[in-house]
Amino acid sequence: MSEGYEILALDEAERVAHRDSTLIPVRYLLGFRPAGVNAWYADTGDQLMPPHTEDSGNEELYVVVQGRATFTVGEETKDAAAGTLVFVPAEVFRSAVAAEDGTIVFVVGGTVGQAFNAGGWEEFTLAEAYRHAGRIDDGRAVMERMVAEKPDYWAAAYNAGCWESMAGNPDAAFAHLRRAKELNAEEAAPYFREDTDLDNVRDDPRFQELLG
Amino acid sequence: MNLAHIDELDAIELADGFVWRPVRRHFGIQAFGTNAYTPGASGRIVEEHTEDRLGHEELYLVLRGRVRFTVDGNEHELGPGQLVFVRDPALRRGAVAVTDDAAVLAVGGKPGEPHEISAWEYVFLAVPDLQAGRHGEAKRLLEEGLEAKPGNPAILYNLACVEALSGEREAALEHLGTAVAAEDRFRAAAQDDEDFASIRDDPRFPR
Repeated sequence: MSEGYEILALDEAERVAHRDSTLIPVRYLLGFRPAGVNAWYADTGDQLMPPHTEDSGNEELYVVVQGRATFTVGEETKDAAAGTLVFVPAEVFRSAVAAEDGTIVFVVGGTVGQAFNAGGWEEFTLAEAYRHAGRIDDGRAVMERMVAEKPDYWAAAYNAGCWESMAGNPDAAFAHLRRAKELNAEEAAPYFREDTDLDNVRDDPRFQELLG
Repeated sequence: MNLAHIDELDAIELADGFVWRPVRRHFGIQAFGTNAYTPGASGRIVEEHTEDRLGHEELYLVLRGRVRFTVDGNEHELGPGQLVFVRDPALRRGAVAVTDDAAVLAVGGKPGEPHEISAWEYVFLAVPDLQAGRHGEAKRLLEEGLEAKPGNPAILYNLACVEALSGEREAALEHLGTAVAAEDRFRAAAQDDEDFASIRDDPRFPR
């Protein structure tokens, strides 16, 4: 193997719980940048991707890789065997349920006319799962990578600050939290006031600067 | 519901022996580039190539069967649900089917840029008509490509091929000349290309 490529087996890759679904965070695991790519895993009767509607301009292609799935798109419901592709345009409701154990659906998504820009929901989902599992260092690592990849995204800086707070690293926490305030003081303000992730640093004299 | 099984998609066998399943085109997807491939007579399933020219990152997912990928000289035999992500556009990659039922989905694009339909889609699309001698139809598809990608040298080159085959000497020379002026690799390609037999003796033919 060389550094220029990677191999990943979907049925062996890391899985993470996300809103009653089980995500295989393919884009995050591989660092693929041109489009959103992920996969969903489910056993019989369980939900594949969370039921949702995409915003205007967002197109998604679902591909049944293994097992069998029952898709609902708009008002219509259809059975999809392995090897089936389902295209769903923007602003149309879609959901899918596994009809066999071990079903995996791969999904590709993007916005027409726009460069793909990962919103980072996979990172937040992973970090949340690590928090529940008590894997503080893994959660910190996810947020550190996100800050490095998206240095101008306030929510990345803010959440990296939360993780450093929880891990008991106030200096690192304040560095990230100040950056979050610099990037988007308005959106960050209510979180500074109320987020319990910051309880470890709330009594630090530096915290007042964030509230001001 | 806009749904299709991979076996229901068009099957366009290309010169290298692999069969292109035009996923993006079938569904009219505009936001990202995606296609599927099945093996042709030669057993090849992914063309051996680099992405140097387009700078694309590519992700290949085996949907069915077994496939032997060669990436940067290393071989990997993969089965359903296994992915190869080729981050480096310079790496040579390709694959042959180990089982006849193999199918591969590819997703690719240039990081940081909106998706643009690649010129090769139009060129590949014209191949069945070209092979069957339906020159008018092949020409129509290539002209459609030129409308989407004005001045694209690969499309111009292939249009010149069709024109030379259908005896349109002036148009063929003009389009070939423009393709060679834009990308010199087409000069070498034209020397051995049998499609140009009818115009090779012309003094204006690029040497």
